[in-house]
Amino acid sequence: MTAADRALDMRGITKTFPGVRALSDVDFSVRFGTVHAIVGENGAGKSTLMKILSGSYAPTSGTIHVGGREVHMRRPADAQALGIRMVHQELNLVPDLTVAENVYLGRMPGRWTFLRRGEMIARAGAVLDELGAGIDPRERLGNLSISQQQIVEIAKAYAAEPRIIVLDEPTSSLSEHETAALFRILRRMRDGGIAIVYISHRLKEVLQIADEVTVLRDGSRIETRPVAGITAAEMIRLMVGRDVGNVFPKTATRIGASVLRVEGLGDGVRFGDVSFDVRAGEILGLTGLVGAGRTEVARAIFGLGRIATGAIHVNGARVTIRSPADAVRAGIAYVPEDRKGDGIVPAMSVRENISLPVLRRISRLGRISRSGDRALAARYVERLGISPPDGERRVSLLSGGNQQKTVIAKWLAARPSVLILDEPTRGVDVGAKAEIHHIIGELVAEGMAVVMISSELPEVLGVCDRVVVMRDGLASEPIDRPHLTEERVMELATGEEAA
Amino acid sequence: MTDMVGEIDEIGKLREASAAPASRFRRAGRLADMGSKAGLVVAILAVVAYGALASPVFFTTGNFVNVATSMSIVGIVVVGMTFVLVSGGLADLSVPATIACGAILSLGLQPMLGTVPAFVVAMALASGIGLVNGLLVGYAGINPIIATLGIGTIGLGIVQAAVGGVIVYGTNPASAEFVKGRLLGVPVVVIIFAAIAVAGHYLLSRTFWGRWTLATGGNTSAAEASAVPVRAVKAGAFVITGLVSGISGGLLGLTLQSARPLVGTGYEFSAITAVVVGGVSIMGGFGSVPRAIAGLVFVQLLTNVMALQGVRTPVQGLVLGALIAGAVGLDAVLRKRGGG
Repeated sequence: MTAADRALDMRGITKTFPGVRALSDVDFSVRFGTVHAIVGENGAGKSTLMKILSGSYAPTSGTIHVGGREVHMRRPADAQALGIRMVHQELNLVPDLTVAENVYLGRMPGRWTFLRRGEMIARAGAVLDELGAGIDPRERLGNLSISQQQIVEIAKAYAAEPRIIVLDEPTSSLSEHETAALFRILRRMRDGGIAIVYISHRLKEVLQIADEVTVLRDGSRIETRPVAGITAAEMIRLMVGRDVGNVFPKTATRIGASVLRVEGLGDGVRFGDVSFDVRAGEILGLTGLVGAGRTEVARAIFGLGRIATGAIHVNGARVTIRSPADAVRAGIAYVPEDRKGDGIVPAMSVRENISLPVLRRISRLGRISRSGDRALAARYVERLGISPPDGERRVSLLSGGNQQKTVIAKWLAARPSVLILDEPTRGVDVGAKAEIHHIIGELVAEGMAVVMISSELPEVLGVCDRVVVMRDGLASEPIDRPHLTEERVMELATGEEAA
Repeated sequence: MTDMVGEIDEIGKLREASAAPASRFRRAGRLADMGSKAGLVVAILAVVAYGALASPVFFTTGNFVNVATSMSIVGIVVVGMTFVLVSGGLADLSVPATIACGAILSLGLQPMLGTVPAFVVAMALASGIGLVNGLLVGYAGINPIIATLGIGTIGLGIVQAAVGGVIVYGTNPASAEFVKGRLLGVPVVVIIFAAIAVAGHYLLSRTFWGRWTLATGGNTSAAEASAVPVRAVKAGAFVITGLVSGISGGLLGLTLQSARPLVGTGYEFSAITAVVVGGVSIMGGFGSVPRAIAGLVFVQLLTNVMALQGVRTPVQGLVLGALIAGAVGLDAVLRKRGGG
């Protein structure tokens, strides 16, 4: 191709953060009037590359040409001025405004402060018609379905007359039918000469919509190819291609009787008919794509979400769980995914956080035993190696890894028989991650049953004895360790055959 | 596959660094905490020193007894309001109605029930108003300002209708004598206030309920995910405020030996002022009864000095308003700095 039909040409892009090289020497270019897909696992560098493209990060080295001209973007506004628009996975719209107001949000046509309403509605209507969306610009946004809102989000980007549109997982909340409608719109935009960057984990869609695909792995570009002539299986191989060595040493434990058994659990909306059991001394992995319903299942078991159907048994006895207090009484503990939001009370000390679920146990006539409180905290601070080893320190002053250990400590103090860990190592550094794995290993060695939710495949494969894969709210049969491969999990998670 | 996690590692680390929770105590926290405590004590001493120099009346036992007595009625409410703010319940605006309920019922029921039973019934009904507030806020999730404003208005309406909008008078002068009397030289009202303050402090700082209240105000989701019954805790704060406002109203009625439906007007704002000036966070999760009472003492002494100096009422209001704005502003700044 010639420089002129390149909408975007990124050369030798490297980005380092303190201690991490997120991207090394990545080339990426898109021609006008084509769709270029980017695929890769977590941590492959897709988000970093897109943040550089949208002006949120500056590359450590490398050059970027837009429309044949070298550019230096310092902030998102620079990228927008160059005609680059992002459509994010989560919608940035205001439900109480009309469709037209959302499309022109922040760029409303008008002189001085007087809004020219009629003109705005007419222009939004024209944009929506051009996309063949069939949405009334005067409708209140909140009255539209999620897929229609997604289209409004795209119309908002399109109305700015961009040269390059980046779509990040645009179909994650859409049905197949709605996806087809979205693709019609994308093809129209493409045929209008816009360069489209398409990020998705749904390889089938990549095959449908993209002209070219770039595979990223561990911050490097592995392959760029025309989509014609590549298969989903090939893409998976290129994305995975990693040696899953013994980064996660697995200690043999004696596996005992079933501790937690879930039968046909469903909330009537996000997941249904989920069944699995986890035995003493065993780590059961629960994995799947984001939005597959893993966290919803865990929250429901812990009394934080609705249960419409099914039954939960702990140590052979059926339990009714309507609140976290019920779950704790039944011997279930849950380390939540969102540590800042659901895990810690930041203004409280490590000690106060640890004893929170067991306050009544260490209280007499309502009064908290000071010595009991301190002893409990001291024991678990030591056991989990929380650093600094000071129970009186505000938990918000600790590192992410130590905050996570505090949350785990809190639940060990409750002496559960089954511990559910939701993404226990997300956002903690490598050292703390290894320590957390070590702690989990010790717990199962002592006979605890552990359910670990993780999106990180190497972690799932390295740590778990059996793995249940969820997709669209449904759970697979558990895969035993001998049959556990990355490809097998991927197939179940995406519903696509790799071989 | 591409989005098995949704976030890549390096981003996670960045987020880690930037998304520190909005704690007041992120940086140099304890120093700031000590500073704000000391600041209040210094402010109180400064007002006392100024008052002693400026007015011959200020530094007399008589004046202090007056200040303490008038402070006690609102101080009892302050104890409850502290629980409301700490639990993240913003404020209880139904206090005037609860006070009126306490005052009118404890006087109005005297002829039928006798003084003590009338007082007990009045307190029970005041707690009932608190319970309704608590159910609306804690269980139905209605904004506390709206819920308590609505319940306060309804409550006041019922009380007014019940007494026909007229003044209710006391029928037992002995009860007035007791409430207005002294024990070992200390006014009885002050003793009752001190007892309630000690009990409130104990409940908030030493018991599991108090710890739950702080946790709920500090991070409701995390508290809920730690098996804390957050709804009950939120409701409880309003029940406590209802109860103490009832007591406050009953004492007010017995002292005055008369009660109008509007007898409690303004007490909610006096109480909120004291709690906020004391440094209890309006956002919840931080504060104590002694802090709130220190705020109360400061505001009351300042008002007293201003009154003795002949400062006009509108100017007094201006000063108090500035104090609230300053205290809330400081809270916001501390939080923001803490979040950084």
